[in-house]
Amino acid sequence: MVILSILILNKAGGLIYQRDFNEGLNKLSSNDYLVLAGTFHGVHAITSRISPVPGSGGLEVLESDQFRVQCFQTLTGTKFLIFAEPHQPNIDVICRRVYELYADYVMKNPFYQIEMPIRCEQFDRQLVAYIKPKQ
Amino acid sequence: MPIYSFYIFDRHCECIYVKQWLERERERSSFRPQTANSTISSPATLSEKRVSTPIDAPTNARPPHGRLSVQDDAKLVFGVVFSLRNMVRKLSGPDDNFISYRTSSYKLHYYETPTNLKFVMLTDIRMDNLRVALHQIYINLYVEFVTKNPLSPVEHKGGEGVACELFELGLERFVQTIQDV
Repeated sequence: MVILSILILNKAGGLIYQRDFNEGLNKLSSNDYLVLAGTFHGVHAITSRISPVPGSGGLEVLESDQFRVQCFQTLTGTKFLIFAEPHQPNIDVICRRVYELYADYVMKNPFYQIEMPIRCEQFDRQLVAYIKPKQ
Repeated sequence: MPIYSFYIFDRHCECIYVKQWLERERERSSFRPQTANSTISSPATLSEKRVSTPIDAPTNARPPHGRLSVQDDAKLVFGVVFSLRNMVRKLSGPDDNFISYRTSSYKLHYYETPTNLKFVMLTDIRMDNLRVALHQIYINLYVEFVTKNPLSPVEHKGGEGVACELFELGLERFVQTIQDV
Protein backbone atom coordinates (compact mmCIF):
# COMPACT_ATOMS: atom_id res chain seq x y z
CA MET A 1 0.00 0.00 0.00
CA VAL A 2 1.45 3.31 -1.01
CA ILE A 3 -0.31 6.29 0.49
CA LEU A 4 1.43 9.51 -0.43
CA SER A 5 -0.29 12.01 1.77
CA ILE A 6 -3.35 12.66 3.90
CA LEU A 7 -5.15 15.98 4.32
CA ILE A 8 -8.05 16.71 6.60
CA LEU A 9 -10.28 19.73 5.93
CA ASN A 10 -12.80 21.14 8.36
CA LYS A 11 -16.28 22.00 7.21
CA ALA A 12 -15.31 25.56 6.32
CA GLY A 13 -12.55 24.41 3.98
CA GLY A 14 -9.71 25.11 6.39
CA LEU A 15 -6.81 22.72 6.52
CA ILE A 16 -6.60 21.08 9.93
CA TYR A 17 -4.17 18.25 9.23
CA GLN A 18 -1.54 17.44 6.63
CA ARG A 19 1.00 14.69 6.61
CA ASP A 20 3.15 13.11 3.90
CA PHE A 21 3.77 9.38 4.18
CA ASN A 22 5.78 8.65 1.06
CA GLU A 23 7.78 10.45 -1.57
CA GLY A 24 5.88 11.28 -4.72
CA LEU A 25 4.30 14.67 -4.24
CA ASN A 26 6.04 18.00 -4.16
CA LYS A 27 6.60 19.61 -0.80
CA LEU A 28 4.54 22.75 -0.56
CA SER A 29 4.79 25.55 1.93
CA SER A 30 2.20 25.51 4.69
CA ASN A 31 0.56 28.52 3.10
CA ASP A 32 0.23 26.67 -0.22
CA TYR A 33 -1.38 23.75 1.55
CA LEU A 34 -3.95 26.11 3.01
CA VAL A 35 -4.64 27.53 -0.45
CA LEU A 36 -4.92 24.02 -1.86
CA ALA A 37 -7.41 23.03 0.82
CA GLY A 38 -9.50 26.13 0.22
CA THR A 39 -9.47 25.61 -3.54
CA PHE A 40 -10.44 21.99 -3.17
CA HIS A 41 -13.29 22.93 -0.88
CA GLY A 42 -14.65 25.35 -3.49
CA VAL A 43 -14.20 22.94 -6.37
CA HIS A 44 -15.92 20.22 -4.37
CA ALA A 45 -18.97 22.45 -3.96
CA ILE A 46 -19.04 23.37 -7.65
CA THR A 47 -18.69 19.78 -8.85
CA SER A 48 -21.99 18.88 -7.23
CA ARG A 49 -23.57 21.98 -8.82
CA ILE A 50 -22.56 21.21 -12.41
CA SER A 51 -23.89 17.70 -12.29
CA PRO A 52 -25.94 16.81 -15.37
CA VAL A 53 -28.07 14.47 -13.29
CA PRO A 54 -29.87 15.82 -10.24
CA GLY A 55 -28.79 14.84 -6.74
CA SER A 56 -25.09 14.43 -7.24
CA GLY A 57 -22.61 14.72 -4.43
CA GLY A 58 -19.25 16.42 -4.74
CA LEU A 59 -16.00 15.12 -6.15
CA GLU A 60 -15.09 11.65 -4.89
CA VAL A 61 -12.12 10.43 -6.90
CA LEU A 62 -9.65 12.50 -8.87
CA GLU A 63 -7.13 10.89 -11.20
CA SER A 64 -3.97 12.25 -12.71
CA ASP A 65 -0.98 10.63 -14.42
CA GLN A 66 0.98 10.27 -11.22
CA PHE A 67 -1.47 10.06 -8.37
CA ARG A 68 -5.06 9.60 -7.37
CA VAL A 69 -7.05 11.43 -4.71
CA GLN A 70 -9.95 9.95 -2.82
CA CYS A 71 -12.17 12.43 -1.03
CA PHE A 72 -14.36 11.19 1.78
CA GLN A 73 -16.81 13.66 3.24
CA THR A 74 -18.36 12.90 6.58
CA LEU A 75 -21.96 13.80 7.42
CA THR A 76 -20.73 16.80 9.36
CA GLY A 77 -18.80 18.17 6.40
CA THR A 78 -15.26 17.25 7.38
CA LYS A 79 -13.30 16.07 4.35
CA PHE A 80 -10.56 13.46 4.29
CA LEU A 81 -8.32 13.62 1.24
CA ILE A 82 -6.13 10.62 0.63
CA PHE A 83 -3.43 10.88 -2.02
CA ALA A 84 -2.28 7.51 -3.30
CA GLU A 85 -0.60 5.94 -6.29
CA PRO A 86 -2.76 5.73 -9.43
CA HIS A 87 -3.74 2.08 -9.16
CA GLN A 88 -4.10 1.75 -5.44
CA PRO A 89 -7.19 -0.35 -4.66
CA ASN A 90 -9.55 -0.01 -1.70
CA ILE A 91 -8.80 3.58 -0.81
CA ASP A 92 -12.35 4.01 0.47
CA VAL A 93 -11.62 1.41 3.14
CA ILE A 94 -8.53 3.35 4.16
CA CYS A 95 -10.63 6.54 4.27
CA ARG A 96 -13.07 4.98 6.69
CA ARG A 97 -10.29 3.65 8.89
CA VAL A 98 -8.66 7.08 9.01
CA TYR A 99 -12.04 8.55 9.92
CA GLU A 100 -12.31 6.01 12.72
CA LEU A 101 -8.88 6.99 14.02
CA TYR A 102 -9.91 10.64 13.81
CA ALA A 103 -13.07 9.94 15.79
CA ASP A 104 -11.17 7.94 18.40
CA TYR A 105 -8.04 9.99 18.91
CA VAL A 106 -8.99 13.52 17.87
CA MET A 107 -12.64 13.94 18.71
CA LYS A 108 -12.32 12.10 22.00
CA ASN A 109 -9.30 14.14 23.03
CA PRO A 110 -10.60 16.54 25.70
CA PHE A 111 -7.97 19.13 24.83
CA TYR A 112 -8.80 19.27 21.13
CA GLN A 113 -10.67 22.38 20.06
CA ILE A 114 -13.15 21.62 17.35
CA GLU A 115 -12.41 22.94 13.81
CA MET A 116 -8.87 23.81 14.84
CA PRO A 117 -5.63 22.24 13.53
CA ILE A 118 -5.08 18.73 14.85
CA ARG A 119 -2.14 18.40 17.19
CA CYS A 120 -2.70 15.07 18.83
CA GLU A 121 0.34 12.88 19.27
CA GLN A 122 -1.69 9.75 19.71
CA PHE A 123 -3.53 10.34 16.42
CA ASP A 124 -0.22 10.80 14.62
CA ARG A 125 1.16 7.62 16.09
CA GLN A 126 -1.90 5.55 15.22
CA LEU A 127 -2.04 6.93 11.71
CA VAL A 128 1.61 6.16 11.02
CA ALA A 129 1.17 2.68 12.50
CA TYR A 130 -1.79 2.06 10.21
CA ILE A 131 -0.36 3.50 7.00
CA LYS A 132 3.33 2.66 7.16
CA PRO A 133 3.72 -1.05 7.88
CA LYS A 134 1.65 -2.16 4.91
CA GLN A 135 4.16 -1.21 2.26
CA MET B 1 -23.56 4.32 -20.99
CA PRO B 2 -24.82 7.86 -21.51
CA ILE B 3 -22.62 10.78 -22.40
CA TYR B 4 -24.01 13.98 -20.93
CA SER B 5 -22.10 16.84 -22.45
CA PHE B 6 -18.99 17.97 -24.26
CA TYR B 7 -17.08 21.27 -24.02
CA ILE B 8 -14.11 22.83 -25.80
CA PHE B 9 -12.27 25.75 -24.24
CA ASP B 10 -9.64 27.74 -26.09
CA ARG B 11 -6.40 29.17 -24.76
CA HIS B 12 -8.12 32.41 -23.84
CA CYS B 13 -10.25 30.49 -21.35
CA GLU B 14 -13.29 30.98 -23.53
CA CYS B 15 -15.81 28.27 -24.21
CA ILE B 16 -15.86 27.80 -27.98
CA TYR B 17 -18.10 24.77 -28.27
CA VAL B 18 -20.77 23.13 -26.13
CA LYS B 19 -22.91 20.16 -26.83
CA GLN B 20 -25.34 18.72 -24.33
CA TRP B 21 -26.99 15.43 -25.10
CA LEU B 22 -28.79 14.96 -21.85
CA GLU B 23 -31.38 17.62 -22.55
CA ARG B 24 -32.52 15.80 -25.64
CA GLU B 25 -33.05 12.63 -23.67
CA ARG B 26 -35.13 14.41 -21.12
CA GLU B 27 -37.24 16.20 -23.72
CA ARG B 28 -36.86 19.49 -21.97
CA SER B 29 -37.94 21.71 -24.79
CA SER B 30 -37.64 25.05 -23.03
CA PHE B 31 -33.95 24.48 -22.43
CA ARG B 32 -33.04 23.22 -25.87
CA PRO B 33 -31.12 25.49 -28.15
CA GLN B 34 -33.47 26.51 -30.94
CA THR B 35 -31.46 24.83 -33.65
CA ALA B 36 -30.30 21.69 -31.96
CA ASN B 37 -31.44 19.73 -34.97
CA SER B 38 -29.69 22.04 -37.38
CA THR B 39 -26.71 19.75 -37.77
CA ILE B 40 -28.43 17.83 -40.49
CA SER B 41 -31.44 19.78 -41.68
CA SER B 42 -30.14 23.29 -42.25
CA PRO B 43 -27.32 23.96 -44.67
CA ALA B 44 -24.23 24.89 -42.72
CA THR B 45 -22.52 28.11 -43.54
CA LEU B 46 -19.29 28.94 -41.90
CA SER B 47 -19.52 32.68 -42.09
CA GLU B 48 -22.82 32.93 -40.31
CA LYS B 49 -22.73 32.62 -36.57
CA ARG B 50 -24.02 29.15 -35.91
CA VAL B 51 -26.54 28.95 -33.17
CA SER B 52 -26.37 25.22 -32.80
CA THR B 53 -23.88 25.80 -30.04
CA PRO B 54 -26.02 26.88 -27.15
CA ILE B 55 -23.47 29.58 -26.31
CA ASP B 56 -25.68 31.93 -28.22
CA ALA B 57 -28.85 30.83 -26.49
CA PRO B 58 -30.41 33.67 -24.50
CA THR B 59 -29.00 33.79 -21.00
CA ASN B 60 -32.21 34.93 -19.41
CA ALA B 61 -33.99 31.73 -20.37
CA ARG B 62 -33.57 30.07 -17.02
CA PRO B 63 -33.90 26.33 -17.20
CA PRO B 64 -36.28 24.61 -14.81
CA HIS B 65 -35.34 22.87 -11.55
CA GLY B 66 -32.91 25.61 -10.55
CA ARG B 67 -30.39 24.43 -13.09
CA LEU B 68 -27.94 26.86 -14.57
CA SER B 69 -28.01 28.08 -18.13
CA VAL B 70 -25.69 26.37 -20.57
CA GLN B 71 -23.37 29.36 -20.52
CA ASP B 72 -23.09 29.43 -16.76
CA ASP B 73 -22.57 25.69 -16.71
CA ALA B 74 -19.68 26.08 -19.13
CA LYS B 75 -18.09 28.75 -16.95
CA LEU B 76 -18.31 26.55 -13.89
CA VAL B 77 -16.92 23.55 -15.75
CA PHE B 78 -14.00 25.66 -16.90
CA GLY B 79 -13.38 26.90 -13.37
CA VAL B 80 -13.34 23.38 -12.03
CA VAL B 81 -10.99 21.89 -14.61
CA PHE B 82 -8.72 24.92 -14.47
CA SER B 83 -8.40 24.73 -10.68
CA LEU B 84 -7.93 20.99 -10.62
CA ARG B 85 -5.34 21.12 -13.38
CA ASN B 86 -3.36 23.75 -11.51
CA MET B 87 -3.69 21.82 -8.28
CA VAL B 88 -2.36 18.65 -9.90
CA ARG B 89 0.54 20.53 -11.49
CA LYS B 90 1.43 22.14 -8.21
CA LEU B 91 1.44 18.85 -6.37
CA SER B 92 3.44 16.71 -8.74
CA GLY B 93 5.25 18.90 -11.19
CA PRO B 94 4.46 20.46 -14.58
CA ASP B 95 4.58 17.18 -16.50
CA ASP B 96 1.69 15.64 -14.64
CA ASN B 97 -1.77 15.81 -16.18
CA PHE B 98 -5.19 15.91 -14.69
CA ILE B 99 -7.17 13.05 -16.30
CA SER B 100 -10.60 12.76 -14.76
CA TYR B 101 -12.69 13.01 -11.65
CA ARG B 102 -15.77 11.18 -10.53
CA THR B 103 -18.63 12.09 -8.20
CA SER B 104 -21.48 9.85 -7.11
CA SER B 105 -23.42 10.44 -10.35
CA TYR B 106 -21.17 11.57 -13.17
CA LYS B 107 -17.59 11.50 -14.37
CA LEU B 108 -15.65 14.31 -16.02
CA HIS B 109 -12.89 13.52 -18.51
CA TYR B 110 -10.26 16.04 -19.46
CA TYR B 111 -7.73 16.34 -22.24
CA GLU B 112 -5.50 19.29 -22.96
CA THR B 113 -3.54 19.80 -26.17
CA PRO B 114 -0.06 21.38 -26.14
CA THR B 115 -1.71 24.55 -27.48
CA ASN B 116 -3.86 24.78 -24.34
CA LEU B 117 -7.03 23.75 -26.06
CA LYS B 118 -9.11 21.95 -23.44
CA PHE B 119 -11.54 19.16 -24.21
CA VAL B 120 -13.98 18.17 -21.48
CA MET B 121 -16.57 15.44 -21.52
CA LEU B 122 -19.14 14.56 -18.85
CA THR B 123 -20.30 10.95 -18.85
CA ASP B 124 -21.78 8.23 -16.76
CA ILE B 125 -19.57 7.03 -13.89
CA ARG B 126 -19.06 3.55 -15.35
CA MET B 127 -17.34 4.96 -18.42
CA ASP B 128 -13.67 4.03 -18.78
CA ASN B 129 -11.02 6.64 -19.26
CA LEU B 130 -11.92 8.76 -22.30
CA ARG B 131 -8.64 10.58 -22.67
CA VAL B 132 -7.83 8.64 -25.83
CA ALA B 133 -11.30 9.35 -27.20
CA LEU B 134 -10.89 13.08 -26.56
CA HIS B 135 -7.52 12.94 -28.26
CA GLN B 136 -9.20 11.27 -31.23
CA ILE B 137 -11.82 14.01 -31.34
CA TYR B 138 -9.00 16.53 -31.43
CA ILE B 139 -6.95 14.97 -34.21
CA ASN B 140 -9.68 13.42 -36.33
CA LEU B 141 -12.42 16.02 -36.01
CA TYR B 142 -11.12 19.30 -34.65
CA VAL B 143 -7.91 19.47 -36.63
CA GLU B 144 -9.48 18.05 -39.79
CA PHE B 145 -12.67 20.07 -39.92
CA VAL B 146 -11.99 23.20 -37.87
CA THR B 147 -8.28 23.94 -38.02
CA LYS B 148 -7.85 22.87 -41.64
CA ASN B 149 -10.95 24.70 -42.75
CA PRO B 150 -9.76 27.63 -44.87
CA LEU B 151 -12.82 29.69 -44.00
CA SER B 152 -12.47 29.25 -40.28
CA PRO B 153 -10.82 32.06 -38.29
CA VAL B 154 -7.60 31.46 -36.38
CA GLU B 155 -9.11 32.46 -33.07
CA HIS B 156 -12.60 31.18 -32.48
CA LYS B 157 -14.03 34.11 -30.64
CA GLY B 158 -17.51 33.31 -29.36
CA GLY B 159 -17.27 29.85 -30.87
CA GLU B 160 -17.09 31.17 -34.41
CA GLY B 161 -16.20 28.55 -36.98
CA VAL B 162 -16.05 25.59 -34.61
CA ALA B 163 -19.56 24.28 -35.00
CA CYS B 164 -19.33 23.54 -38.71
CA GLU B 165 -21.49 20.84 -40.16
CA LEU B 166 -18.80 18.24 -40.74
CA PHE B 167 -17.42 18.64 -37.24
CA GLU B 168 -20.83 18.28 -35.63
CA LEU B 169 -21.76 15.32 -37.77
CA GLY B 170 -18.46 13.62 -36.98
CA LEU B 171 -18.81 14.34 -33.29
CA GLU B 172 -22.34 13.01 -33.20
CA ARG B 173 -21.27 9.82 -34.91
CA PHE B 174 -18.19 9.40 -32.74
CA VAL B 175 -20.10 9.90 -29.51
CA GLN B 176 -22.65 7.37 -30.68
CA THR B 177 -19.92 4.75 -31.07
CA ILE B 178 -18.55 5.44 -27.59
CA GLN B 179 -22.00 5.29 -26.09
CA ASP B 180 -22.82 1.97 -27.68
CA VAL B 181 -19.73 0.22 -26.32
